Amino acid sequence: MSTLHVLSHSPFGDDRLTSCLRVIGADDALLLCGDAVYALQPGTAPFTTLQARGLKLYALDEDARARAIAIADWAEAVDYPAFVELSVHHDKVNSWL
Amino acid sequence: MAKSLLIISRQSPWSGPGAREALDIVLAGGAFDLPIGLLFLDDGVFQLAAKQDAKALQQKDLSANLQALPMFGVEELFVCAESVAQRGLDSNALSLEDARALSAQEITALIDRYDQVITL
Amino acid sequence: MNVLTVGARAIELDKDGFLVELSDWSTDVASALAAAEDIELSPEHWEILDLLRRFYAEFQLSPATRPLIKYTALKLGPDKGNSLHLNRLFKGTPAKLAAKLAGLPKPTNCL
Repeated sequence: MSTLHVLSHSPFGDDRLTSCLRVIGADDALLLCGDAVYALQPGTAPFTTLQARGLKLYALDEDARARAIAIADWAEAVDYPAFVELSVHHDKVNSWL
Repeated sequence: MAKSLLIISRQSPWSGPGAREALDIVLAGGAFDLPIGLLFLDDGVFQLAAKQDAKALQQKDLSANLQALPMFGVEELFVCAESVAQRGLDSNALSLEDARALSAQEITALIDRYDQVITL
Repeated sequence: MNVLTVGARAIELDKDGFLVELSDWSTDVASALAAAEDIELSPEHWEILDLLRRFYAEFQLSPATRPLIKYTALKLGPDKGNSLHLNRLFKGTPAKLAAKLAGLPKPTNCL
């Protein structure tokens, strides 16, 4: 069983990303949307952590662009249709509300 | 067979509606006989601190409500051991005695085992 | 606003007939609420109402049907903790009606 974890909160001053990375499984993927894309701000702790983890990572393109966040080449930019595709592709979706 | 549902409750008890909402989902699911589990993660473990006094805030007593979970048929209760330790709580003195403390790896397996997961 | 008259007292009820102020409850109020539902309270009714009030004191919420049955079975045994017995006493909607007569809030998880 694979889970798509979806984060939408900024990783700065919030535990969601840390906790998610603690419990995410080998077959799972992580999608960043909303303020969670700030995790891809270069030179930050979340950026370094994500880069080092090498998990399946997606970021919602429009949310990144709106925030002037460049999506690193070790992550994959997705649009909403691709987001839906990913949701269907995984056995379940866990949105960290 | 109804789909199994895991609720991950990670909000502290008195800061906002998150903890209450998570519990309401679980109680409603239990009342309808859904296979349902509840995991306390991050600040959610503060919901299980002993000797909380809801009257001080004139709010509904979440701690007392949590004790009703077994009556609602919700027996699958878990806490994140690391969250408990980080927050200086004693895992043997939590208000839900039946809640099992899980490691990160066990939580990964737990999430995998349920059909659906809601994190609040 | 619904009002229930018990002796000289006028007691406020919500639109579904539940007490607005839970502290208004007394055995006389329970009997009056029951009379309004065409029920005459027997000892079998009273022990369930007493049980519900204990449930509320312990958990601070009104039970839905399933937890009510479970709690009754736990405290009074399976002869009484079953849906047949409770439905017979409370016109087929034990969680809702018994909570009303016991002076508890309306059960939220009882659709």
